Amino acid sequence: MTTTGALAAAAAPSHLLSPTVGAAAAAAAASGAAPPLAVEAMTVRYGRTTAVDRVSLALAEGGVYALLGRNGAGKSSLVRCLLGQQRATAGFARIFGRDVWRHRAALMAEVGVVPEQPDAPPGASARRLARLCRRLYRGWDDDGFEQRLRRFAVPPELPFGRLSKGQQRHVTLALALAGGPRLLILDDPTLGLDAVARRAFFEEIVGELADRGISIFLTSHELPAVERIAERVGILDGGRLLVDEDLERLKHRLRRIRLPRAAAAGSATGEAADAALEALAPLRRETRDWGVEVVVGAYDDRRFERLRAAVAGGAATVSSLTLEEIFTALVGHDPAAAAPADAPAAAPAGRATGGSPWQV
Amino acid sequence: MDAGFRIDPSDARPIWRQIEENVRQLVASGILPPATVVPSVRDLARSLTVNPATVAKAYQRLTDAGVLAVRRGDGTYVAAAPPVFSAEERVRRLDVEARRYVNAAVTLGATPRESAAALATAWSALGAAPAGSEAVNATAAPDTPRPRDGGNEGEP
Repeated sequence: MTTTGALAAAAAPSHLLSPTVGAAAAAAAASGAAPPLAVEAMTVRYGRTTAVDRVSLALAEGGVYALLGRNGAGKSSLVRCLLGQQRATAGFARIFGRDVWRHRAALMAEVGVVPEQPDAPPGASARRLARLCRRLYRGWDDDGFEQRLRRFAVPPELPFGRLSKGQQRHVTLALALAGGPRLLILDDPTLGLDAVARRAFFEEIVGELADRGISIFLTSHELPAVERIAERVGILDGGRLLVDEDLERLKHRLRRIRLPRAAAAGSATGEAADAALEALAPLRRETRDWGVEVVVGAYDDRRFERLRAAVAGGAATVSSLTLEEIFTALVGHDPAAAAPADAPAAAPAGRATGGSPWQV
Repeated sequence: MDAGFRIDPSDARPIWRQIEENVRQLVASGILPPATVVPSVRDLARSLTVNPATVAKAYQRLTDAGVLAVRRGDGTYVAAAPPVFSAEERVRRLDVEARRYVNAAVTLGATPRESAAALATAWSALGAAPAGSEAVNATAAPDTPRPRDGGNEGEP
Protein backbone atom coordinates (compact mmCIF):
# COMPACT_ATOMS: atom_id res chain seq x y z
CA MET A 1 0.00 0.00 0.00
CA THR A 2 3.01 2.29 0.35
CA THR A 3 3.40 3.49 -3.19
CA THR A 4 -0.15 4.59 -3.66
CA GLY A 5 -0.84 5.57 -0.12
CA ALA A 6 -0.46 9.25 -0.78
CA LEU A 7 -3.07 9.11 -3.47
CA ALA A 8 -5.46 7.25 -1.26
CA ALA A 9 -5.17 9.92 1.35
CA ALA A 10 -6.01 12.49 -1.29
CA ALA A 11 -9.37 11.15 -2.28
CA ALA A 12 -10.37 7.78 -3.60
CA PRO A 13 -9.48 4.12 -3.08
CA SER A 14 -5.84 3.77 -4.01
CA HIS A 15 -6.32 0.82 -6.30
CA LEU A 16 -8.75 2.77 -8.41
CA LEU A 17 -6.54 5.77 -8.80
CA SER A 18 -3.90 6.32 -11.38
CA PRO A 19 -1.99 9.49 -12.13
CA THR A 20 -2.64 9.21 -15.84
CA VAL A 21 -5.41 7.79 -17.94
CA GLY A 22 -4.32 4.53 -19.50
CA ALA A 23 -5.12 5.17 -23.14
CA ALA A 24 -1.71 4.12 -24.37
CA ALA A 25 -1.81 1.01 -22.25
CA ALA A 26 -5.22 0.10 -23.61
CA ALA A 27 -4.02 0.42 -27.18
CA ALA A 28 -0.87 -1.58 -26.53
CA ALA A 29 -2.68 -4.31 -24.66
CA ALA A 30 -5.41 -4.68 -27.24
CA SER A 31 -2.89 -5.59 -29.91
CA GLY A 32 -0.97 -8.40 -28.23
CA ALA A 33 -1.90 -11.95 -27.34
CA ALA A 34 -0.12 -11.69 -24.01
CA PRO A 35 -2.00 -13.32 -21.15
CA PRO A 36 -3.98 -10.94 -18.94
CA LEU A 37 -1.67 -11.78 -16.10
CA ALA A 38 1.60 -13.63 -15.82
CA VAL A 39 4.02 -14.07 -12.97
CA GLU A 40 7.52 -15.11 -13.94
CA ALA A 41 9.99 -16.56 -11.46
CA MET A 42 8.91 -14.11 -8.81
CA THR A 43 10.74 -14.04 -5.50
CA VAL A 44 9.96 -11.72 -2.60
CA ARG A 45 12.29 -11.58 0.37
CA TYR A 46 12.06 -9.62 3.58
CA GLY A 47 15.55 -9.72 5.07
CA ARG A 48 16.30 -13.40 5.48
CA THR A 49 12.69 -14.50 5.13
CA THR A 50 11.51 -15.65 1.70
CA ALA A 51 7.81 -14.88 1.36
CA VAL A 52 7.48 -15.81 -2.31
CA ASP A 53 9.89 -18.34 -3.75
CA ARG A 54 10.37 -18.43 -7.56
CA VAL A 55 6.69 -18.48 -8.42
CA SER A 56 5.54 -18.62 -12.03
CA LEU A 57 1.92 -18.75 -13.12
CA ALA A 58 -0.37 -17.38 -15.80
CA LEU A 59 -4.01 -16.47 -16.14
CA ALA A 60 -5.57 -17.31 -19.51
CA GLU A 61 -7.71 -14.79 -21.37
CA GLY A 62 -11.26 -15.06 -20.10
CA GLY A 63 -10.17 -17.52 -17.42
CA VAL A 64 -10.53 -17.64 -13.67
CA TYR A 65 -7.40 -18.39 -11.66
CA ALA A 66 -7.71 -18.95 -7.92
CA LEU A 67 -4.60 -18.65 -5.78
CA LEU A 68 -5.00 -20.53 -2.53
CA GLY A 69 -2.81 -20.86 0.51
CA ARG A 70 -2.89 -20.74 4.25
CA ASN A 71 -2.38 -17.43 6.01
CA GLY A 72 1.26 -16.50 5.68
CA ALA A 73 1.80 -18.66 2.61
CA GLY A 74 2.84 -15.62 0.57
CA LYS A 75 -0.43 -14.69 -1.15
CA SER A 76 -0.49 -11.10 0.07
CA SER A 77 3.09 -10.40 -0.96
CA LEU A 78 2.40 -11.84 -4.39
CA VAL A 79 -0.78 -9.81 -4.83
CA ARG A 80 0.96 -6.58 -3.76
CA CYS A 81 3.53 -7.22 -6.48
CA LEU A 82 0.76 -7.90 -9.00
CA LEU A 83 -0.74 -4.53 -8.22
CA GLY A 84 2.54 -2.70 -8.49
CA GLN A 85 2.35 -1.76 -4.84
CA GLN A 86 5.54 -3.56 -4.07
CA ARG A 87 8.58 -4.54 -6.09
CA ALA A 88 9.53 -8.19 -6.26
CA THR A 89 13.05 -9.03 -5.14
CA ALA A 90 13.45 -10.99 -8.38
CA GLY A 91 11.24 -11.92 -11.31
CA PHE A 92 8.31 -10.11 -12.88
CA ALA A 93 4.61 -9.69 -12.87
CA ARG A 94 3.14 -8.78 -16.24
CA ILE A 95 -0.36 -7.62 -16.99
CA PHE A 96 -1.32 -7.83 -20.65
CA GLY A 97 2.34 -8.40 -21.34
CA ARG A 98 3.63 -5.27 -19.63
CA ASP A 99 5.75 -5.15 -16.51
CA VAL A 100 3.50 -4.11 -13.66
CA TRP A 101 6.14 -2.30 -11.66
CA ARG A 102 7.20 -0.07 -14.53
CA HIS A 103 3.75 0.53 -16.03
CA ARG A 104 1.56 0.30 -12.98
CA ALA A 105 -0.14 3.63 -13.41
CA ALA A 106 -1.27 2.92 -16.94
CA LEU A 107 -2.10 -0.72 -16.27
CA MET A 108 -4.19 -0.12 -13.19
CA ALA A 109 -6.68 1.74 -15.37
CA GLU A 110 -7.42 -1.58 -17.06
CA VAL A 111 -7.60 -3.61 -13.92
CA GLY A 112 -10.42 -3.73 -11.41
CA VAL A 113 -9.24 -4.49 -7.90
CA VAL A 114 -11.06 -5.56 -4.78
CA PRO A 115 -8.41 -5.43 -2.08
CA GLU A 116 -8.36 -7.42 1.11
CA GLN A 117 -8.73 -4.25 3.16
CA PRO A 118 -11.13 -1.74 1.63
CA ASP A 119 -9.13 1.46 1.43
CA ALA A 120 -11.78 4.01 0.52
CA PRO A 121 -11.97 7.16 2.62
CA PRO A 122 -14.56 6.41 5.32
CA GLY A 123 -16.32 9.75 4.94
CA ALA A 124 -17.20 9.41 1.26
CA SER A 125 -20.45 7.82 0.10
CA ALA A 126 -20.59 5.24 -2.67
CA ARG A 127 -21.84 7.90 -5.10
CA ARG A 128 -19.09 10.30 -4.18
CA LEU A 129 -16.49 7.58 -4.65
CA ALA A 130 -17.96 6.92 -8.08
CA ARG A 131 -17.66 10.60 -8.99
CA LEU A 132 -14.02 10.56 -7.91
CA CYS A 133 -13.19 7.47 -9.91
CA ARG A 134 -15.25 8.26 -12.99
CA ARG A 135 -12.78 10.62 -14.65
CA LEU A 136 -9.96 8.12 -14.42
CA TYR A 137 -11.64 5.61 -16.69
CA ARG A 138 -12.61 6.11 -20.28
CA GLY A 139 -15.37 3.55 -20.30
CA TRP A 140 -16.88 4.41 -16.92
CA ASP A 141 -20.35 2.89 -16.59
CA ASP A 142 -22.49 4.96 -14.26
CA ASP A 143 -25.70 3.03 -14.92
CA GLY A 144 -24.01 -0.28 -14.21
CA PHE A 145 -22.61 1.16 -10.99
CA GLU A 146 -26.03 2.32 -9.80
CA GLN A 147 -27.64 -0.98 -10.79
CA ARG A 148 -25.09 -2.93 -8.80
CA LEU A 149 -25.63 -0.75 -5.75
CA ARG A 150 -29.34 -1.53 -6.04
CA ARG A 151 -28.75 -5.26 -6.48
CA PHE A 152 -26.49 -5.24 -3.45
CA ALA A 153 -28.97 -3.02 -1.56
CA VAL A 154 -26.25 -0.52 -0.65
CA PRO A 155 -27.47 2.94 0.38
CA PRO A 156 -25.70 5.17 -2.16
CA GLU A 157 -25.38 8.23 0.04
CA LEU A 158 -24.22 6.61 3.26
CA PRO A 159 -20.56 7.24 4.17
CA PHE A 160 -18.35 4.26 3.32
CA GLY A 161 -17.21 3.97 6.93
CA ARG A 162 -20.77 3.38 8.10
CA LEU A 163 -21.50 0.54 5.69
CA SER A 164 -21.32 -3.07 6.79
CA LYS A 165 -18.31 -5.13 5.80
CA GLY A 166 -20.34 -6.84 3.11
CA GLN A 167 -21.64 -3.55 1.76
CA GLN A 168 -18.14 -2.09 1.69
CA ARG A 169 -16.93 -5.04 -0.34
CA HIS A 170 -19.91 -4.73 -2.67
CA VAL A 171 -19.20 -1.03 -3.21
CA THR A 172 -15.57 -1.82 -3.96
CA LEU A 173 -16.64 -4.44 -6.49
CA ALA A 174 -19.14 -2.06 -8.08
CA LEU A 175 -16.41 0.60 -8.39
CA ALA A 176 -13.97 -1.95 -9.79
CA LEU A 177 -16.44 -3.12 -12.43
CA ALA A 178 -17.70 0.33 -13.42
CA GLY A 179 -14.32 1.10 -14.97
CA GLY A 180 -14.92 -1.63 -17.54
CA PRO A 181 -11.76 -3.56 -16.65
CA ARG A 182 -10.56 -6.51 -18.73
CA LEU A 183 -8.94 -8.04 -15.69
CA LEU A 184 -10.30 -8.29 -12.18
CA ILE A 185 -8.02 -8.94 -9.22
CA LEU A 186 -9.85 -9.99 -6.08
CA ASP A 187 -7.88 -10.39 -2.88
CA ASP A 188 -9.86 -12.57 -0.52
CA PRO A 189 -12.98 -10.63 -1.50
CA THR A 190 -15.48 -12.46 0.65
CA LEU A 191 -13.46 -12.55 3.85
CA GLY A 192 -15.75 -11.90 6.80
CA LEU A 193 -18.93 -11.71 4.71
CA ASP A 194 -22.06 -13.61 5.67
CA ALA A 195 -23.45 -16.33 3.40
CA VAL A 196 -25.94 -14.02 1.68
CA ALA A 197 -23.37 -11.32 0.93
CA ARG A 198 -20.93 -13.95 -0.28
CA ARG A 199 -23.45 -15.42 -2.66
CA ALA A 200 -24.39 -11.98 -3.98
CA PHE A 201 -20.73 -11.25 -4.57
CA PHE A 202 -20.08 -14.45 -6.51
CA GLU A 203 -23.31 -14.13 -8.50
CA GLU A 204 -22.21 -10.70 -9.63
CA ILE A 205 -18.87 -12.07 -10.73
CA VAL A 206 -20.49 -14.91 -12.63
CA GLY A 207 -22.72 -12.39 -14.42
CA GLU A 208 -19.67 -10.36 -15.33
CA LEU A 209 -17.91 -13.43 -16.71
CA ALA A 210 -20.96 -14.21 -18.82
CA ASP A 211 -21.51 -10.67 -20.06
CA ARG A 212 -18.03 -9.44 -20.77
CA GLY A 213 -15.66 -12.39 -20.77
CA ILE A 214 -13.51 -10.65 -18.21
CA SER A 215 -10.47 -12.46 -16.79
CA ILE A 216 -10.30 -12.97 -13.05
CA PHE A 217 -7.46 -13.60 -10.65
CA LEU A 218 -8.52 -14.17 -7.07
CA THR A 219 -7.20 -15.30 -3.76
CA SER A 220 -9.71 -16.85 -1.42
CA HIS A 221 -10.30 -19.10 1.52
CA GLU A 222 -13.87 -19.69 0.33
CA LEU A 223 -13.05 -23.00 -1.28
CA PRO A 224 -16.57 -24.30 -2.02
CA ALA A 225 -17.24 -21.16 -4.05
CA VAL A 226 -13.82 -21.23 -5.71
CA GLU A 227 -14.45 -24.82 -6.70
CA ARG A 228 -17.46 -23.77 -8.76
CA ILE A 229 -15.86 -20.83 -10.48
CA ALA A 230 -12.13 -21.34 -10.91
CA GLU A 231 -10.75 -23.10 -13.97
CA ARG A 232 -7.21 -23.12 -12.73
CA VAL A 233 -5.88 -23.30 -9.21
CA GLY A 234 -2.56 -22.41 -7.62
CA ILE A 235 -1.71 -23.49 -4.10
CA LEU A 236 1.02 -21.59 -2.27
CA ASP A 237 2.77 -23.15 0.67
CA GLY A 238 5.69 -21.53 2.42
CA GLY A 239 6.11 -19.19 -0.55
CA ARG A 240 6.35 -21.99 -3.08
CA LEU A 241 3.73 -22.82 -5.65
CA LEU A 242 2.87 -26.39 -4.81
CA VAL A 243 0.12 -26.71 -7.39
CA ASP A 244 -0.54 -24.81 -10.61
CA GLU A 245 -3.05 -26.85 -12.50
CA ASP A 246 -6.47 -27.01 -14.11
CA LEU A 247 -8.96 -27.76 -11.37
CA GLU A 248 -10.53 -30.59 -13.33
CA ARG A 249 -7.19 -32.36 -13.63
CA LEU A 250 -6.30 -31.73 -10.02
CA LYS A 251 -9.59 -33.24 -8.92
CA HIS A 252 -9.02 -36.21 -11.15
CA ARG A 253 -5.58 -37.12 -9.86
CA LEU A 254 -6.11 -36.47 -6.15
CA ARG A 255 -8.45 -39.10 -4.76
CA ARG A 256 -9.24 -40.84 -1.52
CA ILE A 257 -8.74 -44.57 -1.40
CA ARG A 258 -10.25 -46.64 1.39
CA LEU A 259 -8.86 -49.96 2.43
CA PRO A 260 -11.02 -51.85 4.89
CA ARG A 261 -9.12 -53.43 7.74
CA ALA A 262 -9.39 -56.94 6.32
CA ALA A 263 -7.63 -55.75 3.20
CA ALA A 264 -5.28 -53.44 5.02
CA ALA A 265 -4.13 -56.09 7.44
CA GLY A 266 -4.02 -58.91 4.91
CA SER A 267 -0.45 -60.09 5.12
CA ALA A 268 -0.94 -62.04 1.90
CA THR A 269 -1.29 -58.77 -0.02
CA GLY A 270 2.22 -57.71 0.87
CA GLU A 271 4.61 -56.19 -1.57
CA ALA A 272 2.41 -56.19 -4.66
CA ALA A 273 -0.14 -54.07 -2.87
CA ASP A 274 2.49 -51.79 -1.39
CA ALA A 275 3.96 -51.24 -4.83
CA ALA A 276 0.53 -50.65 -6.34
CA LEU A 277 -0.28 -48.06 -3.68
CA GLU A 278 3.12 -46.44 -4.07
CA ALA A 279 2.41 -46.01 -7.80
CA LEU A 280 -0.64 -43.92 -6.87
CA ALA A 281 1.66 -41.54 -4.91
CA PRO A 282 0.15 -41.65 -1.41
CA LEU A 283 0.17 -38.21 0.21
CA ARG A 284 -1.62 -38.76 3.48
CA ARG A 285 -2.74 -41.74 5.41
CA GLU A 286 -5.27 -41.88 8.21
CA THR A 287 -6.25 -44.80 10.35
CA ARG A 288 -9.97 -45.28 10.87
CA ASP A 289 -12.03 -47.74 12.86
CA TRP A 290 -12.73 -49.72 9.73
CA GLY A 291 -9.31 -49.58 8.14
CA VAL A 292 -7.08 -47.08 6.36
CA GLU A 293 -7.84 -44.03 4.27
CA VAL A 294 -5.16 -42.82 1.88
CA VAL A 295 -5.18 -39.64 -0.18
CA VAL A 296 -3.23 -40.26 -3.36
CA GLY A 297 -1.77 -37.72 -5.75
CA ALA A 298 -1.50 -39.73 -8.96
CA TYR A 299 -4.79 -41.52 -9.38
CA ASP A 300 -5.72 -43.13 -12.64
CA ASP A 301 -8.11 -45.97 -13.33
CA ARG A 302 -5.44 -48.42 -14.44
CA ARG A 303 -3.23 -47.90 -11.38
CA PHE A 304 -6.23 -48.26 -9.13
CA GLU A 305 -7.23 -51.51 -10.83
CA ARG A 306 -3.78 -52.85 -10.08
CA LEU A 307 -4.17 -51.93 -6.42
CA ARG A 308 -7.61 -53.47 -6.25
CA ALA A 309 -6.33 -56.69 -7.74
CA ALA A 310 -3.51 -56.80 -5.21
CA VAL A 311 -5.49 -56.33 -2.01
CA ALA A 312 -7.38 -59.10 -0.33
CA GLY A 313 -10.90 -59.44 -1.65
CA GLY A 314 -10.50 -56.46 -3.96
CA ALA A 315 -11.99 -54.38 -1.20
CA ALA A 316 -10.30 -51.09 -2.07
CA THR A 317 -12.66 -48.26 -2.96
CA VAL A 318 -12.02 -44.81 -4.35
CA SER A 319 -13.85 -41.51 -4.04
CA SER A 320 -13.21 -37.99 -5.21
CA LEU A 321 -12.26 -35.06 -3.02
CA THR A 322 -13.66 -31.59 -2.70
CA LEU A 323 -11.22 -28.73 -3.25
CA GLU A 324 -11.28 -28.16 0.48
CA GLU A 325 -10.22 -31.74 1.10
CA ILE A 326 -7.51 -31.45 -1.53
CA PHE A 327 -6.25 -28.25 0.06
CA THR A 328 -6.17 -29.82 3.50
CA ALA A 329 -4.40 -32.91 2.20
CA LEU A 330 -1.72 -30.81 0.53
CA VAL A 331 -1.02 -28.03 3.01
CA GLY A 332 -2.65 -29.12 6.25
CA HIS A 333 0.66 -30.09 7.78
CA ASP A 334 0.71 -31.56 11.20
CA PRO A 335 1.79 -28.55 13.29
CA ALA A 336 4.06 -30.76 15.36
CA ALA A 337 5.87 -31.84 12.22
CA ALA A 338 6.19 -28.33 10.82
CA ALA A 339 9.68 -27.26 9.93
CA PRO A 340 11.29 -24.55 12.05
CA ALA A 341 11.03 -21.08 10.53
CA ASP A 342 14.66 -20.91 9.44
CA ALA A 343 14.77 -24.32 7.84
CA PRO A 344 14.04 -24.79 4.16
CA ALA A 345 10.41 -25.45 3.38
CA ALA A 346 9.32 -28.95 4.25
CA ALA A 347 8.62 -31.51 1.56
CA PRO A 348 5.48 -30.15 -0.02
CA ALA A 349 2.92 -32.85 0.26
CA GLY A 350 3.87 -34.68 3.41
CA ARG A 351 4.31 -37.94 1.59
CA ALA A 352 3.54 -40.98 3.63
CA THR A 353 6.92 -42.38 4.53
CA GLY A 354 8.34 -45.01 6.78
CA GLY A 355 6.88 -48.45 6.68
CA SER A 356 4.06 -49.94 4.75
CA PRO A 357 1.01 -47.76 4.28
CA TRP A 358 -1.05 -50.77 5.26
CA GLN A 359 0.08 -50.93 8.83
CA VAL A 360 -2.88 -50.03 10.97
CA MET B 1 -35.66 -26.21 -14.33
CA ASP B 2 -33.21 -25.03 -11.71
CA ALA B 3 -34.94 -27.18 -9.13
CA GLY B 4 -33.87 -30.23 -11.10
CA PHE B 5 -30.23 -29.34 -10.76
CA ARG B 6 -27.85 -30.44 -8.13
CA ILE B 7 -24.17 -29.71 -8.41
CA ASP B 8 -22.14 -31.79 -6.05
CA PRO B 9 -18.47 -30.84 -5.61
CA SER B 10 -17.70 -34.21 -4.06
CA ASP B 11 -19.00 -35.91 -7.21
CA ALA B 12 -16.20 -37.40 -9.27
CA ARG B 13 -17.73 -35.92 -12.43
CA PRO B 14 -16.68 -32.43 -13.46
CA ILE B 15 -19.39 -29.81 -13.05
CA TRP B 16 -19.99 -29.51 -16.79
CA ARG B 17 -20.70 -33.21 -16.96
CA GLN B 18 -23.04 -33.03 -13.99
CA ILE B 19 -24.99 -30.29 -15.75
CA GLU B 20 -24.98 -32.20 -19.03
CA GLU B 21 -26.25 -35.38 -17.42
CA ASN B 22 -28.82 -33.48 -15.37
CA VAL B 23 -30.30 -31.99 -18.53
CA ARG B 24 -30.21 -35.33 -20.34
CA GLN B 25 -32.08 -36.89 -17.48
CA LEU B 26 -34.68 -34.13 -17.29
CA VAL B 27 -35.26 -34.45 -21.03
CA ALA B 28 -35.33 -38.25 -21.02
CA SER B 29 -37.82 -38.34 -18.18
CA GLY B 30 -40.12 -35.88 -19.91
CA ILE B 31 -39.80 -33.27 -17.18
CA LEU B 32 -38.41 -31.02 -19.90
CA PRO B 33 -40.60 -31.74 -22.95
CA PRO B 34 -39.56 -30.71 -26.47
CA ALA B 35 -39.57 -26.98 -27.19
CA THR B 36 -39.16 -26.10 -23.51
CA VAL B 37 -36.89 -23.10 -23.24
CA VAL B 38 -33.97 -23.79 -20.92
CA PRO B 39 -32.32 -21.02 -18.87
CA SER B 40 -29.68 -18.98 -20.61
CA VAL B 41 -26.06 -19.79 -19.86
CA ARG B 42 -25.87 -16.59 -17.85
CA ASP B 43 -28.97 -17.32 -15.75
CA LEU B 44 -28.09 -20.92 -15.03
CA ALA B 45 -24.50 -19.97 -14.20
CA ARG B 46 -25.74 -17.32 -11.79
CA SER B 47 -28.27 -19.55 -10.12
CA LEU B 48 -25.69 -22.29 -9.64
CA THR B 49 -22.88 -19.75 -9.07
CA VAL B 50 -20.68 -21.66 -11.44
CA ASN B 51 -18.41 -20.36 -14.16
CA PRO B 52 -20.50 -19.56 -17.27
CA ALA B 53 -17.86 -21.31 -19.37
CA THR B 54 -18.77 -24.50 -17.53
CA VAL B 55 -22.46 -24.16 -18.36
CA ALA B 56 -21.60 -23.18 -21.93
CA LYS B 57 -19.54 -26.34 -22.32
CA ALA B 58 -22.43 -28.50 -21.10
CA TYR B 59 -24.90 -26.71 -23.40
CA GLN B 60 -22.54 -27.02 -26.35
CA ARG B 61 -22.22 -30.75 -25.85
CA LEU B 62 -25.98 -31.11 -25.48
CA THR B 63 -26.50 -29.08 -28.63
CA ASP B 64 -23.97 -31.17 -30.51
CA ALA B 65 -25.76 -34.28 -29.30
CA GLY B 66 -29.09 -32.92 -30.51
CA VAL B 67 -30.66 -32.80 -27.06
CA LEU B 68 -30.84 -29.01 -27.11
CA ALA B 69 -31.22 -26.64 -30.00
CA VAL B 70 -30.48 -22.95 -30.35
CA ARG B 71 -32.79 -20.56 -32.14
CA ARG B 72 -31.35 -17.20 -32.95
CA GLY B 73 -32.88 -14.60 -30.71
CA ASP B 74 -34.97 -17.17 -28.94
CA GLY B 75 -32.41 -18.80 -26.75
CA THR B 76 -31.84 -22.46 -26.13
CA TYR B 77 -34.62 -25.01 -25.94
CA VAL B 78 -35.17 -28.74 -25.84
CA ALA B 79 -34.94 -30.13 -29.37
CA ALA B 80 -38.27 -30.87 -31.03
CA ALA B 81 -37.01 -34.12 -32.47
CA PRO B 82 -35.03 -36.39 -30.24
CA PRO B 83 -31.54 -37.23 -31.41
CA VAL B 84 -31.46 -39.83 -34.12
CA PHE B 85 -28.57 -42.21 -34.13
CA SER B 86 -27.82 -44.99 -36.55
CA ALA B 87 -28.32 -48.46 -35.08
CA GLU B 88 -24.57 -48.86 -35.06
CA GLU B 89 -23.95 -45.55 -33.34
CA ARG B 90 -26.65 -46.30 -30.82
CA VAL B 91 -25.04 -49.60 -29.88
CA ARG B 92 -21.64 -47.94 -29.66
CA ARG B 93 -22.86 -45.18 -27.37
CA LEU B 94 -24.73 -47.58 -25.17
CA ASP B 95 -21.58 -49.68 -24.91
CA VAL B 96 -19.41 -46.67 -24.01
CA GLU B 97 -21.83 -45.58 -21.30
CA ALA B 98 -22.18 -49.12 -19.99
CA ARG B 99 -18.42 -49.43 -19.64
CA ARG B 100 -18.28 -46.10 -17.87
CA TYR B 101 -20.91 -47.28 -15.44
CA VAL B 102 -19.27 -50.63 -14.86
CA ASN B 103 -15.96 -48.88 -14.16
CA ALA B 104 -17.65 -46.70 -11.60
CA ALA B 105 -19.36 -49.71 -10.06
CA VAL B 106 -16.08 -51.58 -9.85
CA THR B 107 -14.30 -48.72 -8.12
CA LEU B 108 -17.12 -48.69 -5.59
CA GLY B 109 -16.64 -52.38 -4.99
CA ALA B 110 -20.14 -53.23 -6.25
CA THR B 111 -20.96 -56.73 -7.44
CA PRO B 112 -22.57 -57.28 -10.88
CA ARG B 113 -25.81 -58.07 -9.08
CA GLU B 114 -25.66 -54.86 -7.05
CA SER B 115 -24.91 -52.73 -10.07
CA ALA B 116 -27.72 -54.33 -12.07
CA ALA B 117 -30.07 -53.58 -9.20
CA ALA B 118 -28.88 -49.98 -9.12
CA LEU B 119 -29.58 -49.74 -12.85
CA ALA B 120 -33.09 -51.01 -12.31
CA THR B 121 -33.63 -48.48 -9.54
CA ALA B 122 -32.39 -45.71 -11.79
CA TRP B 123 -34.83 -46.78 -14.49
CA SER B 124 -37.73 -46.67 -12.07
CA ALA B 125 -36.56 -43.30 -10.78
CA LEU B 126 -37.08 -41.93 -14.27
CA GLY B 127 -40.76 -42.53 -13.60
CA ALA B 128 -41.75 -43.91 -16.96
CA ALA B 129 -40.18 -47.31 -16.57
CA PRO B 130 -42.80 -49.98 -16.04
CA ALA B 131 -42.56 -51.33 -12.51
CA GLY B 132 -40.88 -54.71 -12.37
CA SER B 133 -39.86 -54.49 -16.00
CA GLU B 134 -37.15 -56.56 -17.61
CA ALA B 135 -34.69 -53.77 -16.89
CA VAL B 136 -33.66 -55.80 -13.85
CA ASN B 137 -32.40 -58.48 -16.14
CA ALA B 138 -29.13 -57.14 -17.41
CA THR B 139 -29.14 -59.48 -20.38
CA ALA B 140 -32.63 -58.62 -21.56
CA ALA B 141 -32.94 -57.26 -25.07
CA PRO B 142 -33.51 -53.50 -25.19
CA ASP B 143 -37.18 -54.07 -25.78
CA THR B 144 -38.53 -51.06 -23.93
CA PRO B 145 -37.90 -48.12 -26.22
CA ARG B 146 -38.09 -44.91 -24.31
CA PRO B 147 -38.92 -41.43 -25.43
CA ARG B 148 -36.03 -39.05 -25.95
CA ASP B 149 -33.39 -41.09 -24.22
CA GLY B 150 -30.93 -40.50 -27.00
CA GLY B 151 -31.56 -43.98 -28.30
CA ASN B 152 -34.44 -43.50 -30.70
CA GLU B 153 -34.08 -44.52 -34.26
CA GLY B 154 -36.10 -44.07 -37.37
CA GLU B 155 -37.81 -40.80 -36.49
CA PRO B 156 -36.82 -37.60 -38.16
